[in-house]
Amino acid sequence: MSIKTLILIIINSLIALVIALLSFYSYKEFSNVLNDRILQQLNSIKTLKKNQIEHLIKSEWERFESTELYNHNIDSTVLMLSDSIKSINGIHDFTAFHIDKKTTIGFVSNSKKGLRIKVLDYNKIKKILFERTGMGNSGESYLVGKDFRLRSQSRFYPNKTPYIFSIKTENVAKAFKGINGKGVFKDYRGIDVYSVSGLIAIPNLNLVILSEIDVDEVTMPLKKLKERLVGITLAVFLLAVILSLFLTRIITNPIKNMQKSLRIMAEGDYNQTNEFIKNSDEIKEMFDALANLKASLQGAVKFSDDIGKMNLNTDYQLKSPNDLLGKSLLAMRDKLIEFRNNEENTRINSKRMLVNSLENERRRLSRELHDGVGPYLTSLKHYIENKVENKVENELKKTEMKKIVDDTISEIRLMSNALMPASIDDFGIGVTLTNFIESVKKSTAVTIEYEDLTLQDNSKITNHQAINLFRISQELINNSLKHSKAKNIRITLSEFDDFISLFYFDDGIGFDISTVKLGLGISNIKERVEICNGKITINATPGNTTFEIELPVEL
Amino acid sequence: MNEIKLIIADDHQLFRNGLEELLRKYDDIKIVKSVADGFEFMEFAKSHLEADIVLLDITMPNKDGFEVLKELKTLNSNIKPIVISMHNDGNYIAKCAKMGAYGYLLKNTDESELILAIRTVNKGKKYFSAEISEKMINFMSTQSISENVLSNKETEVLGLISKGLTTNEIAAKLFVSSRTIETHRANILKKLEVKNTAELIKKATEKNLI
Repeated sequence: MSIKTLILIIINSLIALVIALLSFYSYKEFSNVLNDRILQQLNSIKTLKKNQIEHLIKSEWERFESTELYNHNIDSTVLMLSDSIKSINGIHDFTAFHIDKKTTIGFVSNSKKGLRIKVLDYNKIKKILFERTGMGNSGESYLVGKDFRLRSQSRFYPNKTPYIFSIKTENVAKAFKGINGKGVFKDYRGIDVYSVSGLIAIPNLNLVILSEIDVDEVTMPLKKLKERLVGITLAVFLLAVILSLFLTRIITNPIKNMQKSLRIMAEGDYNQTNEFIKNSDEIKEMFDALANLKASLQGAVKFSDDIGKMNLNTDYQLKSPNDLLGKSLLAMRDKLIEFRNNEENTRINSKRMLVNSLENERRRLSRELHDGVGPYLTSLKHYIENKVENKVENELKKTEMKKIVDDTISEIRLMSNALMPASIDDFGIGVTLTNFIESVKKSTAVTIEYEDLTLQDNSKITNHQAINLFRISQELINNSLKHSKAKNIRITLSEFDDFISLFYFDDGIGFDISTVKLGLGISNIKERVEICNGKITINATPGNTTFEIELPVEL
Repeated sequence: MNEIKLIIADDHQLFRNGLEELLRKYDDIKIVKSVADGFEFMEFAKSHLEADIVLLDITMPNKDGFEVLKELKTLNSNIKPIVISMHNDGNYIAKCAKMGAYGYLLKNTDESELILAIRTVNKGKKYFSAEISEKMINFMSTQSISENVLSNKETEVLGLISKGLTTNEIAAKLFVSSRTIETHRANILKKLEVKNTAELIKKATEKNLI
């Protein structure tokens, strides 16, 4: 279930519940208040009418008593009173004795003068009862007799005798017991009414007055209220739905964007630069956190990219002590550095071995020529001197032969020296270079100045370094003589406590270091410097070409 | 007439034979011993058997000519060594001369010169031919052996420092790297027991070094 639906359901059900509860409660309250008010009003009307009737009857009674007039004004054909009732003085309900059951209230007085009976004019009572101020459309007040039959005219049935209507409710029964009743009951028509009751406080009469109003009329505003409440509820609910829709958009849109961003990042693309609407602090912070995450991932990606390109000098700042990615990347870099160093060492070592075996081979050949072939040639010379007969005609041939042998020996010496001067082993690099340069000077017009600042007797230059320094110098001098058109060459070999410096200068045309052909032997020189763990700085401007080579003193 | 008692020390049998045959023609020279290496020769030298001259090769197994020269010197032996070698570089000649050789011959030296050398040395004189001498002197002239506290190079650097040149300027002028000049400067300061350039100039002036 999506967040949107969830929020919609939760918010709207909450709102619906609140509205329903509020409506129900206010309806209930309103209806209670209405009930009370109506019953109160009915009660006051009833009390008023009761008082009026009591007052009317009592004043009529008093007038009846005071008049001495003996007036037997009852129609005995219509009203057939029993003797028992005639014998009791007071006010009576004669309705039951009326032939048509017409409501009749009468007075009975037995004095010495005789029996006096008077019937009260019903219209006077009717007038009071039909006074309908504050009774609405359906309100009415009426009297009920002991037999639970109506005594006063129903305003709904003006042409019917009240006596035919019977109302036997709890309300009426209560009233006869002298308790004022009130509540909602069914009236004589069978319709729900608000009803209050009270006993007319006149002995013997036994009449109850009821004031009633139809429930339908009273609850009319309640129904309207109900309708209005339902309308409001619906409107509020609708509004709530719209608002929550809007709200969910506010909340879910950034989440959707975030989801999109994360999905793109999960695909491995950390360079997306989508701008998002940040409509609250939390969402802004969330996006800031996302941006941070992206930045640190980009950092890691860049770092691993660098590592991938073998730029192993790049460093990576751990984002936190728990930056596992960063840690493993760093570990990887360190491993790679170690690996590369090992590889580098292996490479230099194998190169060193290659160069060493080459130089050893040269040395062997050189010695073989010098110390092996040389002596044979001298022996040949001895042989010529010893064994060839000393005749005059032979003398010239002998001299010639000896000359050829001497020349051959010289050639052998040159070859031997070119291969590997014996001086390098016997005297070291300083002297060997001196000899070499002396011999070069014999065959060139270029001025070569060499300064030997090595420590003569306690030189710490190893044989390996000496051979390589010699080869480097040989190569540099060859280059200068062959390509540079230099007039002057200056070479200084200095030995110090901690390093050896070979400085080479010529005033030739120079060369472009980046495009120089391998034929110039620069790479050869660099390789030799490398296998001696040295450093080389080349500066090749026209008129001022310098090579600075520095080797460490190996202890 | 006294015979010249001669020893040949060379690892090549053929060479020794040739030499012996060559020298046999001369009555005043008697080869008393022929050895193949320095060790064998030193055994003989220590045995106090008489000999005047040894024709000594430099490149030999077990013990080479240089070591033999050194040991002869410490032994205070009467045997006068003449080096006979294939090497014709000044440094070899100079070294042998320094180590007490009475003469230096190339192996392909002519018979006449060989005899001359042996006879000269036997008289107690040294023999170095014009050609050999030249090679030796050429070599020695390139060697910058300084008796002073400072080496020649250091004196040169000191002079330039006193003229107010910077390290880089001095390096360019002397055709060396800057680091070399820095090291020279540090060495000069150390040797003259001073701490900075001002003190250095002062002390150098006092000692008349500049």
